Amino acid sequence: MKSTDGKSGLLSADSRLQMAWRVFRGAFFFGRKGLIIWDSWDMWVMQIFITPIAQIGFFAFLSVYLKYPSSVTQFIVIGNALQSMSFSAVFAVANITSQDKWQGTLPSTLVTPANRMALFIGRAWFQVLLSALIAAAGLLYAGTVFGVSFAQADFAGVALVVILTSVAMISFGLLISAVGLYMRTALIVANIFLFVTLLLSGVNFPVSELPVWLQPVAWVIPLTYGTEAVRMAISGASLQALLPVLGWEALDGLVVLIVGFSLFSAFESLSRKTGRFEEY
Amino acid sequence: MHELTPGKQTQGRVGRVIQVLRASVFLTSKLFFADPQWLIPNIIAPFIFTLVAFFLFSGQTSGSSFLLYLVLGSGLMGMWGTTIYASANSIGFDRWNGTMESTLAAPIPLSWIALGRVLFNTLQGVLNAVFILVIGLVWFRVGFTLVNPPAFFFASIMTFLSLSAFGLLMTTILLLSRKGGFITNSMEIPVYIATGTMFPVILLPVVYLPFAFMLAPTWGIEAIRLAALPGYVGLPTTYTVDMTIMVAETFAYLALAFFLFKRVEAYAKKMGTLEEY
Repeated sequence: MKSTDGKSGLLSADSRLQMAWRVFRGAFFFGRKGLIIWDSWDMWVMQIFITPIAQIGFFAFLSVYLKYPSSVTQFIVIGNALQSMSFSAVFAVANITSQDKWQGTLPSTLVTPANRMALFIGRAWFQVLLSALIAAAGLLYAGTVFGVSFAQADFAGVALVVILTSVAMISFGLLISAVGLYMRTALIVANIFLFVTLLLSGVNFPVSELPVWLQPVAWVIPLTYGTEAVRMAISGASLQALLPVLGWEALDGLVVLIVGFSLFSAFESLSRKTGRFEEY
Repeated sequence: MHELTPGKQTQGRVGRVIQVLRASVFLTSKLFFADPQWLIPNIIAPFIFTLVAFFLFSGQTSGSSFLLYLVLGSGLMGMWGTTIYASANSIGFDRWNGTMESTLAAPIPLSWIALGRVLFNTLQGVLNAVFILVIGLVWFRVGFTLVNPPAFFFASIMTFLSLSAFGLLMTTILLLSRKGGFITNSMEIPVYIATGTMFPVILLPVVYLPFAFMLAPTWGIEAIRLAALPGYVGLPTTYTVDMTIMVAETFAYLALAFFLFKRVEAYAKKMGTLEEY
């Protein structure tokens, strides 16, 4: 066969890459189709248009009630607009392995000879698009309902921040999903992380206001870089000025992804050894 | 072999209802403690919200009255969150656990079984509020001096009951939907806003107010604050007015919930598709 490297009969690097791409594509479409529960127009509307305005509104009203100046309210509005993607980026992705357990599809998924990295990332990739859409809706509300000025904004920069943050946050979702392979469910860890981002990621107040010992933890979360970068982009910072922050965010996302994949592989091999894929 | 013996027979309809409520509360409590997910709505979520609010509040205000306001708001948010989440999923769990048929086949209206579950779930919410209070007392050193303690505790109990009634209504509405969990997740923050858990509803846009006023806990929260906080200014109503409206709306929820339950249960039995995905 052309696709093998001759003597050994193993697939060539090129063919392996092609197969990984096929697995990624399949996993991407399956990830989309697997959302059977949400797959109706009302669920999409709720997720993309209702969730962000509710979250932004809650913290914006709180700020107004506390008589903060409008600059503080706008700080809060922008932070929450970006953070509103977390439900999709982290929560939905984190539950992938748990859903496999509930639906009885985990053994079938794990016995496939498919490239694990392609499978791992592919199934979550649809959420990158969804998360970016939710954050975009949030920023639209920020401008139209909550009075955030986009007059100085670098829209290319804003778009880049939104997409990069979606990707980086998916890495965190995948990390939690890997933990969910070992645990009974990833729900608890995902929820904790979701709420922690509200507190630590500079969403509602600057990271510098956190206790000093907590600040390094904040910078482990990609969203922290995202909230800083999106505020910079909205206030007119150029792409060049954004690059250092975005670079750190990308690096952070990559490290988290590698850790997540390593954990996934370790737990997969452990569950194969013990035969306890789905044990509760 | 053990001989099967019939369970204790309770005479009369009221007796049977009490027996079902007791069994339902007991079983829900066992499921609650068996599953560590109870940590999420009870401790983690309200704790984080409280911390966020504390950071926001501490930058702008000081004094034990404001801290008590914050703690009360967070506690009520926790009660709300737990009630909504658990009520929407109370029948959903039957679907996941494969116990839907057995539950529906029980010789008692489903509404009483659901009410027992909702009562425990709301009680769980109270536990949540107590956790928040403890966090406030220990961590934030909130002074717990109330304007009118008996009125405060009465309003708290009535708000608990109004949340249970609302939870029952939610269970009915979401009985036929497999999207209950998702809908309630999306509803959580809007109801925090609509009931003024963290800020008075009077701040909301006028179009939002009718929705806020239709929610009994909105009035309960107002009554609790009037009874707890010195010099509290919220809606232009008195404690008595707030309580009266809350009780009236609670009865309306219960009447509507029982009416709908009858219809929905009959429909579900006729169609036989309650468990279908």
